[in-house]
This record gives sequence, structure tokens and C-alpha cells, in this order.
Amino acid sequence: MEETSDRLNPGITPEFDPKTMRSTKPGLKRLFITTSVLFSFLLGVPFLWKSVEIYRSPLPFHDIDSLSDQIESTPLRFPCNFHAVFVGFPSTDPDNLRSQIQDGINQLTHQNSQCGSCNFSLSVTVQNRDDQCSETLAHSSTTCSYRCGVIKRNVFGVGVDDTVDESLNDVFSGCSEESGKVYSVVVVNKENANGGDEVKAVVGKRRHAWIVGNGLEERYGDMVARVSEIFVKVFMTGGRDEDSIQGEFMPVGSDGRIVLSFSLLNSNPRDWVYDWDFQRIDEALLAPVTKALAPIANISVESQVLYHTPKSSFSSWDKKLQSYIFRTSDLPFFVNSNEWHLDTSAGASGRSKILQFVVYIPSGKECPLLLQLPNGEISKTNGFISPMWGGVIVWNPGNCDKDSESPSRNTISPQDLEQIVEIFLGQFRQLFGFKSEAIYTSGLGTYKILPSERGFTEWELDVLSRKHTCFNLHSCSTTLGSLSRLVRSLPRMIIKDEIGEQVKYSLKAAKLAQSNASLGGYSSSASSSREARSLAENAFFHPSIMSVSYFSYEHCFAVYSPFFLPVAGHVVLAALREWRRYKQEKAKYLTWLTRKKTA
Amino acid sequence: MLADDMACNARNEYPAQVFNNENHKLNLYGDNVEVDYRGYEVTVENFLRVLTGRHENAVPRSKRLLSDEGSHILLYMTGHGGDEFLKFQDAEELQSHDLADAVKQMKEKRRFKELMIMVDTCQAATLFNQLQSPGVLAIGSSLKGENSYSHHLDSDIGVSVVDRFTYYTLAFFERLNIYDNASLNSLFRSYDPRLLMSTAYYRTDLYQPHLVEVPVTNFFGSVMETIHTNSAYKAFSSKISNSKSNPEMPLNQLSEHDANIPNDELKNEKQKCPYSQMRADLHKKLEKLENVDTVVNLSIAVMVVVVMVSSSLLR
Repeated sequence: MEETSDRLNPGITPEFDPKTMRSTKPGLKRLFITTSVLFSFLLGVPFLWKSVEIYRSPLPFHDIDSLSDQIESTPLRFPCNFHAVFVGFPSTDPDNLRSQIQDGINQLTHQNSQCGSCNFSLSVTVQNRDDQCSETLAHSSTTCSYRCGVIKRNVFGVGVDDTVDESLNDVFSGCSEESGKVYSVVVVNKENANGGDEVKAVVGKRRHAWIVGNGLEERYGDMVARVSEIFVKVFMTGGRDEDSIQGEFMPVGSDGRIVLSFSLLNSNPRDWVYDWDFQRIDEALLAPVTKALAPIANISVESQVLYHTPKSSFSSWDKKLQSYIFRTSDLPFFVNSNEWHLDTSAGASGRSKILQFVVYIPSGKECPLLLQLPNGEISKTNGFISPMWGGVIVWNPGNCDKDSESPSRNTISPQDLEQIVEIFLGQFRQLFGFKSEAIYTSGLGTYKILPSERGFTEWELDVLSRKHTCFNLHSCSTTLGSLSRLVRSLPRMIIKDEIGEQVKYSLKAAKLAQSNASLGGYSSSASSSREARSLAENAFFHPSIMSVSYFSYEHCFAVYSPFFLPVAGHVVLAALREWRRYKQEKAKYLTWLTRKKTA
Repeated sequence: MLADDMACNARNEYPAQVFNNENHKLNLYGDNVEVDYRGYEVTVENFLRVLTGRHENAVPRSKRLLSDEGSHILLYMTGHGGDEFLKFQDAEELQSHDLADAVKQMKEKRRFKELMIMVDTCQAATLFNQLQSPGVLAIGSSLKGENSYSHHLDSDIGVSVVDRFTYYTLAFFERLNIYDNASLNSLFRSYDPRLLMSTAYYRTDLYQPHLVEVPVTNFFGSVMETIHTNSAYKAFSSKISNSKSNPEMPLNQLSEHDANIPNDELKNEKQKCPYSQMRADLHKKLEKLENVDTVVNLSIAVMVVVVMVSSSLLR
């Protein structure tokens, strides 16, 4: 029986088990086919990845963070030079005076280094009665050395303040700006025995001030205190009370432009119609103001005349004053935003700031219309401002009698126009945080400030430049910080090249502003900081950064997986299965081979 | 933003009028209403663009929210809504997290000082669940799970005229006059759940001032903060008072200057451009003429003669 079974199955040994052994080598065709399909799928994955990739321009996150840290930690300070000249005093030690004044200044600034404050250097010159000088200078090499004897005591008090200002300007104008501007205070001690005890303090239009009085050599402490006060309260902070950088008095648009929109409102043109020659006042009176503020904002001026514009608050007749009275409690309701279509500027872009200046001519039923203050007085200007919006002036026609036949057409006379522009300049200064009147009062006395036809004196422009530099840099760094956080939180948002470039240029302008500030160029740092802020705002408010339009990673996965997952699943499973089968068959073949060898 | 501008709807029997009551006494769509986004422009994207300020450059100022860091904003939303959403145009939804995100971005960019959100939809209070920015006050007409109802039907027009929450809000303001110093607390307390048929819920955890001290004019009535101008800046009158010998105003002085300058320019122009000088001379001569009509008639006659002569020559 064994022979027959041997003959029937010639090559098979009795232990051959088809489940664990096979006689032929397993074929590779099936494995090859499945793995080639899997491989082609895998080959396509980079192409798929590339097609769903979104373009994100690389933003310099590190630079943005370092800029924010820098601005938060070290507040920006500007170099200023203070120079005090004492004329007509007996020879005193200028070093002593210098240390006293320095103490006074430090006391007033409370040693707080706020952004925009001065890193000052102080020098004192004393010129005695014989016109001999002794001085202490803060640094040795300066082109601003005061030539002894140039200031004569008899100039003061005789001429009017403007001429004194001009003569002092000739004295101090030789200074070139090395590191910051030079602010000077001249204290003049006159020996007029007839003169009274009064001390007059005047601040000029450029960068100098003077105090004139009699017998001042007895009152050194007083003089030192007043000199320090002028340096700190007037030259450094501009006569403004608030310390912090409040955005409420920085009416510059985020693209660095301001549009001044002047409107003449004829409340009831059936009573009278007024017109104005605006072009003349624009060229003559407003152009210097616009030019003076050029480093801070790019200002353009528009005007319009509107008709049928009643106000929405009420007024009452006062018999004693023979006029209609409205109170300060009515002021918040005065502007009738329903009927006053003021914001019709075609030239202003979306992000410029428009300041509305309204001259309101009341109707015949409310003429004359006067503003009564809470203390019962009548306002001298009949005007008010709303911060960041603009100002309103109520101008009463000279003659309130109506011409009953036809409405009279008049033009506002040049004298009246000039008065209106003066009130407007006061309001414009208020909108920037200064006081509208040209006087500064403190505990030690009053300082008369000479008004300049540019609306702001040079030292006020310096204060504005410094404050705006600080504000712009702060705003730029917070905007860039918000942008970087937003971009990092939406990983699938497209960041266009434009945005990346604007961020880069904004950072460059911010660095330039900081270096200009440290060198003492106030207006150059103001204009570069303005550019930095406007570029940062352009990048942040780019219309393509809308989170609604972009989807998360999960969404992308949810969109593509129904296409690829089922097929890919099958392919992968098939390849795995074939691989496992091949391994099994290979193992079977190997066991058969070993069995054959042993047999 | 009005998705369905009912006042301008062709089926509205009273065109350009929207009433709050079937007695038709108060026209809410007055002469001065300005609708900035209507119809198909009312989308979630446009709404969020308005809030965050990310418009295309060409979008006009009237379609932008021109607010700054001192502004108080009132945001009033009504329509169909549900749990954490508000329906836009029957096709989209505004989700509560989108709204919260937009408000967060507004706060970061300092686009408001105080924001008040009033929502009048079903389950309105869920729409501001996710808000976290400080300075935001929110009130909704109903809680989660509650519906908000309309007030009454105007059978003349054929639709329900106003929703209950809006009706009672308007009634509150109609009772006030310009000098009443009503507080937000009195507004919020005036909502009676029985009359509203839902619970008006408000959220003050993000809003610091006490509601009793906040006047309603903080958000309603477009009231401005004002500061009186104490004095004029006498930049020009000081010059006049000083110079006694020269009593002319700067304007007149400058007008002389202005008169001088164009003459100089004209002279320069004469050297540069004889053509414009000739035109100016002609203009002056024409202005001197008293009777312009005779000149015109004469010149027409001359032209006719020239035409006849030239046509006869050509023949």
C-alpha cells in the first residue's frame, strides 16, 4: 500500500500540509499591482497638498513683538536744551542757580519719564549790570553760545511785546539744531525805583520767554520757581493739563490726513441768506496754519453753504438781554444730525478724519441767539466744540430785522470773517488739546502767551510733534501686535504680499521715527511715526482679512475626505492584504524547502 | 441695514411709510431716514465688515462705521433667530461666536468706548453668550427656549406691524422729552414679561458703570459731548491793535498782496505766453463794451455776409 501511495503522489512527502506549505515560489504579480496602485496614490499626495496650500506672506512676527516690547518698556524721550539767562543781576554763582533750577524742574516732573517728555540739559548765564557774563554750559561744544551783552535791559517794558519778541528772536535764532531745540528764558531785573512790584511774564512765539520785574535780586527763589515752571509746564507740556496720551485730542485720521470741512448754515433762508468769500480766508488765513501742521497731518480744507438747517435744541427769550438764550445744557443737542448734511466730502477717503466747523446763522425767530454759561455770563465766542468731531459757532447777523418782502442776500464782511476765523482757531487749538485763550495761569502767576498767526507757536508745535510721535508709535505697535495675533490664530487665512510689505515698511518707519526722536528732530520723527501708523493701519484693515471667509483645518479635511478616504481605504487595505498574503505564502514555501532539505 | 425695506416694498399700500401702530399715527420712516445697506447688500460679511472696518477702498464714508475710541455705539438687531444665531436673508446665519469675534476685534482696535447690543428675535439672549470684551452692554428680548412675539396685526397693511419688545421700547422713548434724565435702568425695568410674553434678559457683567447712573442719551438720540470755547485766539487783532499807522485788516493787506501777485504773474506770462495776454486784452475790451447785444448782432450779420460771399465765390 505504501508503494501505491508513493507512486500516486510522486513528489509529495507524507508530511506535506497544503495549509502550511507550498511547493512553488509565491508570485509577485498581485503584490506588484496593489503596491503600484498604492504608490501612485502616494505620488499624488504632494500634488494634492500643494493644491490646497494657501499663500501666506511671511510676516516678521519677531520684529513686531520686539517693537511692542520696546515701546512698552522704554517710553520715548526727546532731547531738549534749556537755557536760562539772568540779566541785570549782581554777579551770582551760575552753578548754584543751575542746580536750583534743576531741582525745581525735577520736582515738577516728579521724575516720571513719560513718553514725549524731555531729556533735558540745562545751561545758565548770568549777565550783571556791567554787561559781564558768567555762565555754566551743559555741554562744551555748542553753537548756541550767548554773546554777552546782547540783551539790553532797556528793551524790556518799553516796546510792545511783539517787538521784544522779535528782538529776542534775533538773539537766539543763531542756534542750529544738533540734539533737540533750545528753549530760553530771560529774567530781566530792572532797577527802576519808580516801578511797581509787579512781575510780568510773557512767552514768545518762537522758543523763548521772558520775565521782567523790579528788585528781583531779592527774590531768587521765586524766580527760580517761575523759570522751572516755564520750562516744564509751558515748554515741555505746552500748557496742557492732562498728562497721559489721550486719544481724545488727537484728531488725526489713521491715514495721516485731516479734512477741515467748513459749513455755513443758513437756518431759515426765507429770512436772510448769507454767503462768505471762503477762498480768501483759505488762502490768507488758513494756509499758514495748514503748512505749520504739515509734519503732524496732511490737512486739506473744504467748504460748503447749506440752507434750511434748523437746530434741534430750544432757546428761550430773555427780556433783560433782549435776545434768545440757549444754555450749556442744550449744547449736546444742538447739532441736528438729521437735517445737517455735513459729511458730504467727496475728497476724504474712508480713513481720514473730517473735522466739521459749522457757522450757524439763526433764523429770524431766534435772532439774536446767545449762549449763556452756567455762571450766568454770556459767552464771548458763542461757540463750542465736540472732541474729535469739530466745532460750532453761532453768528448773529448784525441787524435782526427781517426784510419782509424778500430775503436779503448778504455776504459776511471781512472783519466779521476774521473774527469768525479767530474763534475757529481757538476751537482748532482746543481740538488738539490746547487752550483757546493765549494765557497760562498757575499758582505762581499768569504767563501771557503771544498768539501766532499760524495758530500755534513754535514751541506748541514742538509739543504737538512730540505727543503725536508717541501716540502714533504706540498705536502702530498695538495695531501690528493685533495683526500678528489675528494672523497666527487663523492658520488658513491668505495673507497677501501687500500686507507683508506694508508691515515691513511700517516697522522701518517706526525705527526711523525712534532714531529721529533720539537725535532731537521733532518734526521728522512726527512725520515718520505718522507714516508708520498709517501703514500699520492699512495692513490691519486690509479687506481680505475677514475670518468669515476662511475655514479651519477641520473644514478642509471634511471637504476632501469623502473624495479620497473611501478609495484610499480600499487601496491601502488591499495592499496590506496582499503583503500579508505574500508573507504567508513565502513562509509556507520556506517551510517546504526546509522540510525537503531535511528529508 | 434693511434686508427687506418694507417702506419701499411694492406691496406696501402706504409707500415710504412704516408705522409702529395700526392707528398709523407715528411714521417711523420719516423724511430724514437714511438706509445705507438695503436688499441684497445685507449679508453677514458686509455686517462684519461694517463692524470691523475692513472695507474695500472704494466704499464711501456713508457706508462705514466712522467711530473712534470715544464713541458709544448702539447695535439693534431684529428678525428671525434661534439658539446662538440670527438669520440673514433666509440664506445665511450670523453666529454668536462670529459676533463675539468681531466685537473683540473692534475693542482691540479701539473702535468704541461703550457698545450696546439690543436683539429682538426668538431666543435672543443666546446671541450674545460668547461676548467677552469689556464695555459691552447687551439686552435680548427673550431667553433660550422662549419665543418673541409680534405685537399686533395691522389688517390694513396685512402684516404684523411691530414686535412686542420694539413696541415697548418705542413707547418708553415716546414718553420722554429732551430734558428728562432717564437712566438705562428705568428702560430695562420698564419691560414687563407679561406684556412681552417673554423675558427680556440683559447682561451687564462686561459693562462697568452702574445702570442707574447711565443716562439713556448715552446710546440713544445722537447726543454729543461738548466743551465750550472760552475765547477766540486773537492772532490777527493783536496785530491791528499794535500797528496804529496801518489800520487795514490783514485780509485787506493780503488782498493787496494778492492783487500785486497776479499782476506780476501776468507780466511774467506776457513774457512767456503772448497768446494768453492777447486773450486777457480781448476779455478786458469785451468787458468795457456797454451794449453787448449790438456787437453780437453785428457779428452775426458779418458772418452771414461772409458765408454768402464765400459760397458765391466757390460756385
